[in-house]
Amino acid sequence: MTNAPCQCCLADALLEDQERSGRIGFVENIDWLDVTASVKGDQDAYERLVRRYEKQITGLLWRFTRDAVQCEELVQQVFVEAYFSLKTYRGDAPLLHWLRRIATRTGYRFWREKAKEPQEMPLPDFEIMEQIEAVDEDRIDPAEAAGVLHNLLARLPAPDRLVLTLLYFDRCGTQEIAERMGWSRAKVKTQALRARRKMKEIAEREHLLERLGWTL
Amino acid sequence: MDTLKALAKLARRAREEQTPVFGVAELVRLRIESEGRQPVTLIPFGLFGGLSAAAASIILFLAVQFWQYMNSPLRELVAPLPEITLW
Repeated sequence: MTNAPCQCCLADALLEDQERSGRIGFVENIDWLDVTASVKGDQDAYERLVRRYEKQITGLLWRFTRDAVQCEELVQQVFVEAYFSLKTYRGDAPLLHWLRRIATRTGYRFWREKAKEPQEMPLPDFEIMEQIEAVDEDRIDPAEAAGVLHNLLARLPAPDRLVLTLLYFDRCGTQEIAERMGWSRAKVKTQALRARRKMKEIAEREHLLERLGWTL
Repeated sequence: MDTLKALAKLARRAREEQTPVFGVAELVRLRIESEGRQPVTLIPFGLFGGLSAAAASIILFLAVQFWQYMNSPLRELVAPLPEITLW
């Protein structure tokens, strides 16, 4: 690991800047200490940050791929990218928000790269839906519900899929999606409207309600 | 039931899913160390740039030489007609 002197100076400058501007309240103190130590090249400090937020980032990226190997690779990518961008983190928002932004963009990039690959597999099938016999919402296994939703969302183009994934799984508002992706809020709203319409069409074509026994 | 409501219901249930935990901290550390250790060297780019510049200079030199020696095909049209003495 390189301990470039400029990074040390930067960490000190960041800390002083935060103290001056009173932004320290925006970030957990413990996170900020680990961030500054990591920027100085303290690998243990960064490992602590990874352990602290790994679960949340994995949870988010699990919505982008349900393949454990791919998901683990994406989680690693996020933390490696975050490490090398750590000096740009100003502490304006909690570290988790910043990590989520990187994770969302990483996941979105992953989808776009996958879309470029030649499709050898057919469109996702709905075998998993055949297993659902429950009528009551509470009786549906959460993993099965997530699998069905993931398969349905996979039929949408990447931007539509992203907006609905964040709305459905992460309960993000349009403002938050816009901030994470660097899009305008108007664009997200339009995208969400269009995506919901497409999703409705897909679900009706696949007779989702009948399969779930929710027609009544 | 409305399809969109059903989707929202599915999503509500899906949010309760237990996601896997991988324990990537050690692997991330290794990747950071390996990527950080890679020397950022500009030698290959410099070498490639230098060779390209040298090749371009040679081609330019030759091109100028050929240009100077080249005759315009239109020269014959504008050249004064030779006088011919008939008798």
